[in-house]
Amino acid sequence: MNSAEELKYLLPNSVVSVGVQTNKPQAVIRKEDFLKVAEKVKELGYDNLSVITGVDRVDRIEVIYNLFSYKKKQNLALKVVLDHRSPEVDSVTSIWKVADWLERETYDLVGVKFNGHPDLKRILLPEGWIGHPLRKDYDMNTEQFVTIGEDGEDIVSPDGSNLLRRK
Amino acid sequence: MDPVTIDTTKIRMTKRKPETALEKLEDTNLINTLLAAKDREGFILLTTIDQAMNWGRLSSLWPVTSGLACCAIEMMAVSMAHHDIARFGMEVFRASPRQADLMFVAGTVTKRMAPRVKQLYEMMSEPKWVISVGSCANTGGPYHESYCVLKGVDNIIPVDVYIPGCPPRPEAWLYGIIQLREKIKNEGYGAKWGLNK
Amino acid sequence: METETLLLNMGPVHPSTHGVLRFKLRMDGEIIRDCQIVVGYLHRGTEKFGEMKTYLQFIPYTDRLDYIAAMPNNYAYVKAVEELAGIEVPQRAEYIRVLVMELNRVINHLVFMGSLLLDLGASTMIMYGFRERENALQLYESLCGARMTFNYIRPGGVREDLPDGFIPKLNEFIKDMEKRIVDYEELVNGNEIFLMRMKNIGVINAEEAINYGMTGPSMRGSGVDHDIRKLEPYSIYQDLDFKACMRREGDSYARYLVRVDEIRESLHILKQIVDKLPKGNTINQRYGFAPNTGAPSAVTSYFPRIFTPAEGEVYSRIEAPKGELGFFVASDGTTKPYRVKIRSPSFCNLVALPKMVLGLKIPDLIAAFGTIDIVLGDVDR
Ligand code: SF4
Repeated sequence: MNSAEELKYLLPNSVVSVGVQTNKPQAVIRKEDFLKVAEKVKELGYDNLSVITGVDRVDRIEVIYNLFSYKKKQNLALKVVLDHRSPEVDSVTSIWKVADWLERETYDLVGVKFNGHPDLKRILLPEGWIGHPLRKDYDMNTEQFVTIGEDGEDIVSPDGSNLLRRK
Repeated sequence: MDPVTIDTTKIRMTKRKPETALEKLEDTNLINTLLAAKDREGFILLTTIDQAMNWGRLSSLWPVTSGLACCAIEMMAVSMAHHDIARFGMEVFRASPRQADLMFVAGTVTKRMAPRVKQLYEMMSEPKWVISVGSCANTGGPYHESYCVLKGVDNIIPVDVYIPGCPPRPEAWLYGIIQLREKIKNEGYGAKWGLNK
Repeated sequence: METETLLLNMGPVHPSTHGVLRFKLRMDGEIIRDCQIVVGYLHRGTEKFGEMKTYLQFIPYTDRLDYIAAMPNNYAYVKAVEELAGIEVPQRAEYIRVLVMELNRVINHLVFMGSLLLDLGASTMIMYGFRERENALQLYESLCGARMTFNYIRPGGVREDLPDGFIPKLNEFIKDMEKRIVDYEELVNGNEIFLMRMKNIGVINAEEAINYGMTGPSMRGSGVDHDIRKLEPYSIYQDLDFKACMRREGDSYARYLVRVDEIRESLHILKQIVDKLPKGNTINQRYGFAPNTGAPSAVTSYFPRIFTPAEGEVYSRIEAPKGELGFFVASDGTTKPYRVKIRSPSFCNLVALPKMVLGLKIPDLIAAFGTIDIVLGDVDR
């Protein structure tokens, strides 16, 4: 029994299906139960959250959590499938601290909202950036410019006239 | 084929080693107009004021420490012992833009960094020069199509010398630096009016 | 006494933030009460390029993530693609890959030592560090023509075989380095000021280190001996003899020592590779082919430009010099990846920094930050 099947056995109602993510076991989780499952998974000894990946599948958004247990030396991938219009899932910052930045990054670039995150704001792009670049429908042709405001924070605008040099 | 033997005693250097102060200074090729008058005690060197100023400026360019990306690592390599820009009087990297007169824009200028680079440039006191290093700073380079990279730093600040490469080799940096020195040498009204050619 | 806290801004242009990182500190006198890290000043959209470029075209972009040690980036991405498409790699290619990666680890840690000491105000070490680095870079240059951005590793093998005279030069480098690392340790390790600034600064215990997602040498300084090269041996690491360097104290000094030990360990690995290096192909003949140009040293291997792996997702990770470097690659059966996600070690290691520096002074922040060893290209991608 691999780690995903074990999870299915322990939480039959929350785990929708089990599968593989190329040589790593993967469990698809119901998004309502995600926090509960995450707590269980931490209890099982998965102490290292490697990465959170958001994938825009056009009709849905998938969020994939790659976990590793240093104690058991086992891999586990969790996947939640979210609605494309309003992707929302519970935050796991209370369980793995590293999720703080990983979730902010996913929010920034893919636009997944993490409920319960203490400080959910953009991390790589400045606050006020329009769109989420790793969505498939992101408009790559509109230029956005950043200037510094009075208080030293970034201001985003499509108009770069006070930044660009007049030639 | 027989090995060719070369008689090294027959070879004469065509260029004489500079001996006097005048010849030494001329040999550096850093001043255009240079006259020497013989005094009772020795030589007196004469030049125009703007040439003397240019010579002072180009011999001690102080860059501001502002690495942006990969190219900045090559900037460190250039300033270290192997390539040694101390030869150009440039090893004095200043942390404050107020004390610097040269800026290497070394790396990718992202949209978010652009206003900061511009501010840094504006904080430097005149006279100031900018060398744009690497494809990224020149045109956007490999990141030209990116949503958050400025397509060339010359969109926001004037650039004096462009050094291509990704990253440019240290030798390319040195060549770029020499080009900038050449440019500074010919600055000012004297050179513009054709006096100091 | 009641005092008011002061907001202090550090960066993004600051000599000791290794690039364009910004700290927002709330200071109570000299003491740091709160530390916020602002990243993203070097965000170049590398992950979007993963979707815009073909599998092969994306390899150069991986070079520019962690530009001090670029080979492991190449390899991590290629490994993900290989796992996705099930490509076999010939033994010689594997040996060459590990060789170039371990050499890069040496370079990375040398630059780390140099820049850490420079931040602390001692500028001797960086001169030495860059001197050795220059020697190693000459090896790389003879191998693939580039000093920093290699673009060398291909799915199914490597781009070129080792050139003539590479191994003797490498041996020379190893011999040199073994002597010099002793010198550097003498120069740095016992230095009173250095010890005062490093010991008991930025302490983090094992459990927290794991919970905050620290990996690599930064984590191993806290008494955890997890090394992905040991946990999930990839390439040929199971045939090599090395140990995961580890220290218990969890402070800046421990993290520094781990890296110095790792230089030794990498040199040890390099020596084994030189001894064992097998003969054979440098690229999988089913995918790549090596045109016979006559000169045995100038055999270039190609990987087909159009390459379509089957649909699927993969997350594969390696032990890069800075920690766990992972690539998530999703394929939809076309010539371009559907999604590339980079799990960069520097990004995740930074999360723990605010925790480590609370209650310390600003110079301690520099010391603790220096020992986490980040590269901004890797943080912001
Ligand atoms: S030009 Fe190349 S090496 Fe330089 S910053 Fe850009 S990507 Fe990096």
